This record gives sequence, structure tokens and C-alpha cells, in this order.
Amino acid sequence: MTTQVSQPASPIAGPLERAVNARKDKKLTTGMLGLIGLVVVLATWQIAASVGWVDASFASSPVGAVKALVHMIGTGELWPPLLSTLESVAYGMIITVVVGIPLGLLIGRSNTLYGLTEPLVSIMYSVPFVVFLPIIIFWFGIGAEARLVIVVWSAIFPLLINVIAGARNVDAHYLQVSKVFCAPRLLTLRSVTFPATLPFVLAGVRQAVGRALVGAIVAELFMGNAGLGYVVQTETSAFKMDDAMAAIVVIALLAIVLTRSVAWIERRFTFWSSSV
Amino acid sequence: MAPPRPKLRVRDVEIGHRSGRKGTYALAVDGLSFDVAANEFIAVVGPSGCGKTTFLTAVAGLIPISGGTLELDDQRIDGPGRDRSLVFQQASLFPWRNVVQNIEFGLKAHGRLDAAGRARVAELVELVGLGGKGDKYPRELSGGMSQRVNLARALATDPELILLDEPFAALDAQTREVMQEELTRIWQADGVQAGKTAMFITHDVPEAVFLADRVLVLSRGPAHLVADIHIDLPRPRTPSMKRTAEFLAMSDRIVDLVMAQSQIGKQAEPGRRVTSDDHAGVAAG
Repeated sequence: MTTQVSQPASPIAGPLERAVNARKDKKLTTGMLGLIGLVVVLATWQIAASVGWVDASFASSPVGAVKALVHMIGTGELWPPLLSTLESVAYGMIITVVVGIPLGLLIGRSNTLYGLTEPLVSIMYSVPFVVFLPIIIFWFGIGAEARLVIVVWSAIFPLLINVIAGARNVDAHYLQVSKVFCAPRLLTLRSVTFPATLPFVLAGVRQAVGRALVGAIVAELFMGNAGLGYVVQTETSAFKMDDAMAAIVVIALLAIVLTRSVAWIERRFTFWSSSV
Repeated sequence: MAPPRPKLRVRDVEIGHRSGRKGTYALAVDGLSFDVAANEFIAVVGPSGCGKTTFLTAVAGLIPISGGTLELDDQRIDGPGRDRSLVFQQASLFPWRNVVQNIEFGLKAHGRLDAAGRARVAELVELVGLGGKGDKYPRELSGGMSQRVNLARALATDPELILLDEPFAALDAQTREVMQEELTRIWQADGVQAGKTAMFITHDVPEAVFLADRVLVLSRGPAHLVADIHIDLPRPRTPSMKRTAEFLAMSDRIVDLVMAQSQIGKQAEPGRRVTSDDHAGVAAG
């Protein structure tokens, strides 16, 4: 019948695939350019250090940093601070997620709560959390609990902002469908509200993980006795720039791995969302 | 001609709502009365903004009526019910569910998604022309395909009354023609002997004539009934019928009635009220 006339078998696959391929090509090109940019900077730095334009003992050098990193891996010196930082981030994220998601949903679903907390959450989100550092130290000392407070403090607000936005932006059409078909409350929550909010929640978690790492490193820099931030701090004080740089490289890799993992989870669970 | 026991009974229905910034109370529907017989497909037309969609929303049970009676199978309509389903103007598919899962939603909501329910869904996927596309997600579907899913979702629960709210309004002209033919085909194919009782809202008069057994013309808002016209075209309806003199004459007459309502302010003449028992004056054929 006329069905086939207006809806041939394959045209959705065609353009969509083409678009996906075009996007892949573009991604590849951007990736190549990024790599070139990185190589140029590292090469310039290395040359400057080798030729003597800059003092290598002040500026370190890519080769020096890599050597230091290999050494740290070889002696096993790297693992305790790496684990310590990961531990701070992990505990901080657990608290952030367990508190942030339900709290965000609660605030988002209630107009009164939203009205009461919206300015506060916005302010807390906008103000750089490091200004609270002296006060947190004053309140909690410089122990592990204080570091945890800083991680949660820095991570929870981006998550809250996103979850609140998600809970407030559940498309009214979706809820109407649920209503027309007399869906029970629990089904509506599980099959409509939750999936509709999920992209916001996961975007919030991705931002929160990045901020949790920042919080952990800052805490270690200022008040730690362990962790990668502490390594950067002590090695710099000891004038061992290569070691400090090596620790920074590890922090950078950690940041990339953490955010990419969450981004992967995001794509895996919200592949249907047109905005992904 | 009115059957002894109507499926849907609409008597002196009045629907008011607060509108505008001042929140003034305005009537969207005022004194609307008609009956719908079982297995009848009726189309409701009227000037834009006359309150037809508001009325449909009330029949769906999403908004309350402020006066009159609204009964389906002698049961007062006072909220959404399993005996009705709605084909939305925007497809409103859940983007996280594929075609099959979207069609299943109503059955799942009713707790009826058993083997028979799944078989019915599989049948509907074929019936609405989406065979082999059951695992596609809404973002991969065209507007016409989305509306096929929307329709199948409404049919899946096997409702007593199916409500369609301008389901083809957002489609391009060509897809729209195709979907009109598809709807008559699906409507006649689904169900035991004849099609389900259906109420279709549209502002497109030829669409109404092509699809319906009866076309109701509503007045400018607040809406009441202006004309109740039987469409005596045989079924199955075919696209070629749209070019017959009979079809064109019928469409023209209804267009005139709707236009007269659109311009009523200029003429300062109220639309003549009819009830569903008063077909004789305006019945076509």
C-alpha cells in the first residue's frame, strides 16, 4: 500500500549513518589537531630546556618528567599517593551521589523547596569553593574528614544544579501520556520521571567527578600528608621539579580517565537522548 | 436515526477555565450536546480556538467539566480511564523506549502486558505499517512514523473510545494524505467487526469528511453544536473518493459552515444551535 511510498525501507539508516560517519571524521580531525598541538608545546619545552633557554632545574622538561614517572612506577612510590587521592575522590563521590541525587530530586519536585533553596544553591555553585578552605580547616582540622568535606563541598553543587534542573524539566507531555493511560504512580516514577531525568543526573555526575578531583587535589596541596597533590607540594618544596611534573602528569591522566568513564556511562544509558 | 443507547452521551456540557494574565474566567465550551453511537467515527471541526481540543481533553478526563453531563457507556467521566485512550497531537513518544516498548506502555500501565498483550502489540506494529522497525527509537523515526506509533499505542489497550487530537496537523501535506488513508484502513482492520468508537478533532474539513461517519461543526468559542452532518460515503474509503462531486459538495458545505462561524463577529449573528436529535435540518445526502 501507500506505506512503502512514503516510508521506504532504508532512508533512516542512510542519512543517520552518513551523519554519524561525518561526525566520526570530524572527531578524528579534531583529535589529530589536538595531538599536534600537544606535541608542538612539549617539543618546544624540551628544546628550551635542552638548549638552555630555561633552567631545567626550575622548569623541568618533558623527558625529565617521564624519567621521573618511570622511576616512581619502578620503585612503587607512585601507588600510595595515587590510591590515597582515588580514595578521597571515591568516598567524596559516594557521599555526593547518595546525598545529591535524592536531595536534588526532592528540591526539583517541590516548588516551595525550590524557591527556598534556589538562590543558595546558585550562590554556592558560583562561588569558588576554595574561599571556604580556611574556614573548613578551622572547623574540621586538617585530617581525612576535612579533606572529605572539601571534596564533597566542591562536587555536590554541580550535581545538585543538574538534578534539580532535570527534575523540574520533565516534559509535561510525557506525564500526560502516563495520566491518560492511568499508569500507577510507581510506574510513572520508574518508567517516565526517572528516565526523563537520567540525562541530567549523569551530566551532573560527570561534572561532579571533575570537581571532586579538584577538591581532593586542593585539599592535599594545603592540608595533606598523602596523595598526589601532597607529592606535587613536597617535591616542589624539595626542588625536585621532575618529580612534581610527573605527579601532575598522573593527575591529568586521572582526570581524563575519570570524566571519560562517566561520559561513557552517560552514552551507554542515555543513547536515546537527542542531545547526546 | 439516533441509536437507543448511545456510547458517548454529551449533554449541555460547559467547560470553563481561567485564562489570560488577569485570570478571568472564560467559557471554552457552553451548552454542547450530542450522542455518539457505538462503532461510530465522528470528526469534530470548528474555527481555530473554538474549544474543540479543550472538549476532547475533558472527554479524556484530563480536565473537569463545569456543567452538564459527559457519560461513556452510562458511566460518568470524572478522570482518565482505561476505557479511553488518546492519540496526541505531538506524538509524545518516550524517547528512551523503542517502538514496541512505546506501544506496550498503555498495556503495561494497566498491568495487562502478558503473552496476549505482547501478541497484540506485535500485531499492531504490523498493522500500522512499522513491521521490522519495532526496535527503532523515536529519534530515528519521521513525523509520520511517530504518529503511527502514537496511534498503535492508543489502540493497544483496546479502548471503548479512542480520542484523536489533530494527530496529523504537524505533518507535511503528502504524509498527511497517506496517514488519512492509513487511518481508515487501520480503523476498519482493527476490532472485531467494525471500527472502534472514535472521536477525531481536526480543523481540516476534507480530512473530517474523508475519515468520519459524522462530522460535527462547532461554533466559535465558547463552543456549541452548529451542525451534525452524516457522511454517507461507503467504506472502505478510497483516495479517489476525495475527487467525487459528492465529496466536494459535502466538504464545501461544511467549509461554509465553519467559515460562517469564523466570521460571526462581523455578522453579529449567533450560530444556530442544534442538538443531536435535530439532524433533519442539516443532515446531508
